[in-house]
Amino acid sequence: MGGRLTGVRHLLPVALHQDRKSIAPWIALISVLSASSVLVYDWVFPDPEAQRILQLNVTANPAMALIFGKPVDLTTADGFNAWRAGALGMFFSGLMAIFIVVRNSRAEEDSGRAELVASGVIGREARPAVAVALAAMAALLLGVVSALVTIAFGGGVANSIMLSATFTASALLFAGVGVVAAQVGSDARAANTLAVTVLGALFVARGYIDSSGAPDWAAWLTPFGWLQETRPAVDNIWWPLALVVGLALVLVGVGLALHARRDFGMGLVPPRPGPARAGAVGTLWGLALRLHRSALASWMVGFAVLGILLGFLANTVTDVFAENPGIAQILASGAVAQEDLVAEFLLTMIRLLGIYAAVHGVQVVMRLYAEELEFRADPLLGGATTRAAHLASHAVIAFLSTAVGMVVAGSVMGWVADATGDTIGFADVLGQTVATIPAVWVLVGLALAVVGAKPSKRLAGWMAVVATFAITILGPMFTLDEWVLDISPLWHVPNVQAADPAWGGLVGLALVAAAFTAIGFAGYRRRDIA
Amino acid sequence: MESVISVEGLVKSYGRFTALHGLNLEVERGEVHGFLGPNGAGKSTTIRVLLGLLRADAGHVEVLGGDPWRDVVALHRRLAYVPGEVSLWPGLTGGEAIDLLGNLRGGLDEARRAHLIERFELDPTKRGRQYSKGNKQKVALVAALASDVELLILDEPTSGLDPLMEMVFQEEIGHVKEQGRSVLLSSHILSEAEALADRVSIIRDGLVVETGTLDALRHRTRTTIRATLQRPPAAPAELAPLEDVHLDGAHVRGTVEAERVGEALGTLGRFGIEALTATPPSLEDLFLRHYGDDAAAPASPSGATATPRRRHGRRARD
Repeated sequence: MGGRLTGVRHLLPVALHQDRKSIAPWIALISVLSASSVLVYDWVFPDPEAQRILQLNVTANPAMALIFGKPVDLTTADGFNAWRAGALGMFFSGLMAIFIVVRNSRAEEDSGRAELVASGVIGREARPAVAVALAAMAALLLGVVSALVTIAFGGGVANSIMLSATFTASALLFAGVGVVAAQVGSDARAANTLAVTVLGALFVARGYIDSSGAPDWAAWLTPFGWLQETRPAVDNIWWPLALVVGLALVLVGVGLALHARRDFGMGLVPPRPGPARAGAVGTLWGLALRLHRSALASWMVGFAVLGILLGFLANTVTDVFAENPGIAQILASGAVAQEDLVAEFLLTMIRLLGIYAAVHGVQVVMRLYAEELEFRADPLLGGATTRAAHLASHAVIAFLSTAVGMVVAGSVMGWVADATGDTIGFADVLGQTVATIPAVWVLVGLALAVVGAKPSKRLAGWMAVVATFAITILGPMFTLDEWVLDISPLWHVPNVQAADPAWGGLVGLALVAAAFTAIGFAGYRRRDIA
Repeated sequence: MESVISVEGLVKSYGRFTALHGLNLEVERGEVHGFLGPNGAGKSTTIRVLLGLLRADAGHVEVLGGDPWRDVVALHRRLAYVPGEVSLWPGLTGGEAIDLLGNLRGGLDEARRAHLIERFELDPTKRGRQYSKGNKQKVALVAALASDVELLILDEPTSGLDPLMEMVFQEEIGHVKEQGRSVLLSSHILSEAEALADRVSIIRDGLVVETGTLDALRHRTRTTIRATLQRPPAAPAELAPLEDVHLDGAHVRGTVEAERVGEALGTLGRFGIEALTATPPSLEDLFLRHYGDDAAAPASPSGATATPRRRHGRRARD
């Protein structure tokens, strides 16, 4: 290995050893996502009638297409799997790759470890190349494991391999995005934010295209669309994968070229001197606000953009219904009113917004512990400040910004929906969004409880969000028992448009959120600082 | 004498690992107290208990007359802390960090802030991520030294400073002492402790094994004597009370208890002294005595003579 990549051979095994425990859960998650849909399909949808109803239900709620993509063929287990695990699997594969690349390039630089490495006999591009190589290995392994596990649980061989190959391709693509972001961002956090924003924006764009009845060519506007054009389990077309891999290679090339042009430890934008005196940032509250400032800004833009997209989508629903003969038939028979379908769609949308807000809130809470791990809690708590005040400075931001985000998204969505059609009113949308806030707070409160009292178990904060998503969005489709659905806080949100909304649910949610928060504060006062 | 820090029988475990096994520590008002030991001995753990960041598993801990776990806010108004590993907020400038830390202690002395920034040659407009290790430490030092507090708790505050800045630090600690404030100075830079500390405590494996003024500690430790002799003895034993004897032709090296130095010189005189140096124990010797040898019992200073040769040999390998 000559020149610029010298040292990759020595660095790669070390990186692999360091990182395997962080990579394994992602591969497991995505493989389970794929295998589980094959496993449950025959059990939940045993006969053609059940399968027909599934196809109808999914098509009747475009929110489903927003998350999972357009259903192609839900009458086979593999086809169902391609729909249920396809887009989500690509999304998670992309996240995995971004985190691997940034963790092994930019974060290493921030920690100073890379400096030690860079002083060795190491080519200039070796460090980012190792990060990309590691992500590529993880991507391939993900594909192999996911395919094998899915086949083992009853998936068709060719279909499962095709679907898993889209995960691999997506991971490769976002490894490329990650390595570019790692050069542009000024530190690992900024690089992650940048790359995940690109991932999220492409995913939402794909969702909008899939659910809004856009023309067929629009599918080609995002790389996710390219991957969907492989039509796993239906046509198994391989060549779009080549496009994605080609784009990945271009991005990696750009990333390595940028790497060669920037100084160690710096982003492409050189740092400017800042104020010599602290203004508002000189207090605990000002500091917390500053720490979350850029993340808050991106999330608020995200809330507004989602609001606009969902608002537009809300009025295209009726077109989607009209175009679908199955649904048109049901509507004509009078078994279901169009308003009910629209209302169900809106509810699903707003639950999705709630989950988006919960991710934001949990992230804010987790940042508190990240700061602690980087020894930045010590000097603050070494000052004349209580633990409670320190926790509160982050907790208040988590609660307030999720609420504000929901109001922003709800207002924008309601306004756009109201302005572009006449089926949906502004107040209905906003009311439902506001009613969802206490459910979001339950998840934020849970994160506070674990971070406050038992941070070694902080993964539970994220698991709760994932579980809520799975139960709320997939639960009804799998006709889960009521008690299972009741685990999800979103399930207790009353439908404000109902004749007699169950307001009691809100009280319950608020009490649970308060209890979790109290546990967090009590625990934070008692435990050791890491 | 009033104590500003009083620790008795402090025990702290992390899971199955016990970091402190019944540690005792007394810091008196107005003194600079050196807290010496290598990394991993338990210095930082002790300090984080004193700050109420960690909860003691057992023992009695008192800081400025209060309970550091319970009276956090009241106590922290009266003390300032510089952590061993200074981690600054990457996006905040040094100046912002100084003000933030100062505000959390109830404000800074503006004149001292300006004076210290100048003395430590710190650029307060740089961001946290741009500072070197030493400059991060300066930020924390300026914030601590510019605050009007009774007690400074400094955890290896100079490990990243260059020698010039180390001098500045020593002068500033001198001022602090003149003002009658107390300092707990954890360090493994022995010359620094030697220059600044009124008393020192040496910690090993979670226990304080020596404590006292440097003079008292020296008195309990052995003086090293090197001599060139006209008629070297045949066997080292002839040079008693000199021990740890190393004979190399006419050159002799050995150690002797402080109170028997005169006696040892008398013995050497019988072999005809051509050249002689006697070195009183430095803090370094005190330190090595406790860390240079895993097997030596640290409890009794005089007991260490039991197996002098073996001790010496092992130390050399360390």
